[in-house]
Amino acid sequence: MTETSLEARREILSSIREHLAESKRFDTQDVHPPTTARRTTSKSVAGDRDKPVIELFRHALEAVSGHCSIVRTIDEAAQAVQEIVAERKASGPPATAGGSDSHSRRVAVSDSALVRAILGRVKTEAAFLDSPSQAELFDCDVGITCAQWAIAETGTLVLESERERNRLASLVPPVHVAIIEASRIRRSMSEVLELIKKSDVGLSRAVTFITGPSRTSDIELTLAIGVHGPGELHVIVIDEAAPPA
Amino acid sequence: MRDQARAIKDETLAHLDRYLEQFAGNAERAGARIHWARDGREVSNIIIELLHERNAKRVVKSKSMATEEIHLNDALEEAGIETVETDLGEWIIQLAHETPSHIVVPAIHKSKKQIADLFVEKIGIEPTDDVDKLTGAARRVLRQRFAEADAGISGVNFGVAETGTILILENEGNIRLTTSLPKIHFALMGIEKVIPRFADIDVFLKLLPRSGTGQQLTTYQSLITGQKKRPEDEGPEELHIILMDNGRSRMLAHPVTRQSLACIRCGACLNACPVYQQIGGHAYGSVYPGPIGAVITPQLIGISKATQLPYASSLCGACREVCPVKIDIPALLLHLRSEIVEGSASGSVDEQGPVKRKFSEHLAFRLYAFAWSRRRLYEWSARIARLFQRAAVRQGRIGKVSGLIAKLAPPLGAWTAGRDARPIAPRTFREQWRADSEIK
Ligand code: SF4
Repeated sequence: MTETSLEARREILSSIREHLAESKRFDTQDVHPPTTARRTTSKSVAGDRDKPVIELFRHALEAVSGHCSIVRTIDEAAQAVQEIVAERKASGPPATAGGSDSHSRRVAVSDSALVRAILGRVKTEAAFLDSPSQAELFDCDVGITCAQWAIAETGTLVLESERERNRLASLVPPVHVAIIEASRIRRSMSEVLELIKKSDVGLSRAVTFITGPSRTSDIELTLAIGVHGPGELHVIVIDEAAPPA
Repeated sequence: MRDQARAIKDETLAHLDRYLEQFAGNAERAGARIHWARDGREVSNIIIELLHERNAKRVVKSKSMATEEIHLNDALEEAGIETVETDLGEWIIQLAHETPSHIVVPAIHKSKKQIADLFVEKIGIEPTDDVDKLTGAARRVLRQRFAEADAGISGVNFGVAETGTILILENEGNIRLTTSLPKIHFALMGIEKVIPRFADIDVFLKLLPRSGTGQQLTTYQSLITGQKKRPEDEGPEELHIILMDNGRSRMLAHPVTRQSLACIRCGACLNACPVYQQIGGHAYGSVYPGPIGAVITPQLIGISKATQLPYASSLCGACREVCPVKIDIPALLLHLRSEIVEGSASGSVDEQGPVKRKFSEHLAFRLYAFAWSRRRLYEWSARIARLFQRAAVRQGRIGKVSGLIAKLAPPLGAWTAGRDARPIAPRTFREQWRADSEIK
């Protein structure tokens, strides 16, 4: 810290103390007792309480324009990924240096073992880039990551940066596919906050909460999807207990 | 939930020194660099010096009222640093060389047509009235700016003392890009943004968007704790958090003014305010418009420099009703008015002595007359009225609003005689948002 910054620190802190002391004479009742850490059980709509979390999650995700598929196995997950990738038109320049294959799609993927396992079973022409450079990333059509947690009540995905390289693959390409195991879906945000704080890899440097695709209403309050982040969000839930499709 | 949020804020403010030190200590342990700044000039100096040292010339910015408050962009420009706003609304007004008129929807005063014309002129797109096309064009141009940027500057919505985490909320994704792509990340944080515990995040994440835009949660929340640990990790190499006072600590001196520091900048009071709806964000002549602006601007810049602002209100109480942290804005306005009338009550805010009562409530009405006599502002208020007025009707405040409009009938009548009055849209802002979020 520079000399000025240290001086500023001293002055700001003492200004806070002085002004707080000054306000004491106006205080009729004393300050609120310290709030203790509490679990807020969010008021959910009647019926939500008993709804299975996976159903609740799917419902909330769809309400914010996300897509949700529930599959039973890694093979089915691979099938779902394949379909999503196949639906995309390639947008960037040719994937191969020679430029012969000008229609091949580029997919940015995180370094998670689960994503790897799934991609191993995907049959596609698309090029998978597992640590794309920034420039390559800008040309990718799809990004695939895991989500470490999900919040059922709000349809929110939670990504921890200490678990996988997920920050850019989930953000830069126009389509984000997130894979999550059903056991990692929790009902409320307060449960998830506790889990990420106490995580065995420590609190991640970057934790990202994602609720639906990127959106803006900056032009005449008209909703537009996909302004800076992905315009499409697909979540694939792997639930071994799910009934066959 | 509102009571809980306010209780957390009150507790924090009552021990702000302790929580700030705890926040700074924990953020530093996680690898962030903390800087303290007494005012806006110090903030600019810190950022400019660090940028110069690193030979950084291009900066991307995400929306931050704190940087607007201190006119950071002007300072950066003077220092030869190219600054690009990346929030769509902020970028639009930067292109147009204007200033924000709403704290959540900064370009709300511009029509789609005006924005399309601007894009045709400035970035050379084909004329269009399709919002998706306009947004797509902005995405393409801004992607380039992100790729070139040496540093990113963001604001902070909340700073968690327990872990040293900063929290930033958004819908677009530009904040994630600003805080992930460039090598250096500067986060400007007002000293009042601290919350004590990690678990407190829950209530604030839910409260802010519900009050501001009617969403359950904003699309993205970034929780950033210090710097990356391994070079191969994603994210910036440096995180600088600048803690800024700029007039905030002295607001702690009185329980009434102290409330202003609980504000989470959700924008709900603007949307509810009949005066804001009529005069528009720019008429306040300050960075923070609307009810909260009328309250904090005089306190930030000195009450003698903003004597009219506390009168730009009809004291109808709509703002107090909607505020998610239950700030009693009317009481604050009265408090500030009494300081103006009686001279400085606290001794620290008013350097020029008593200002006479003749700057009276009539000023508020003059503000109306002013607004209604200007074409641009009329269009503006029509837009706001269309978007927000039905909410006011529904909540039974229309009596107040129409009473004021009646006073202004003559100038308005003259103006509308030769033009079509705009119909009020059938859907309110909140309804619109809700409906939008249901679109599949
Ligand atoms: S004063 Fe209350 S309603 Fe207005 S912006 Fe601040 S928190 Fe929101």
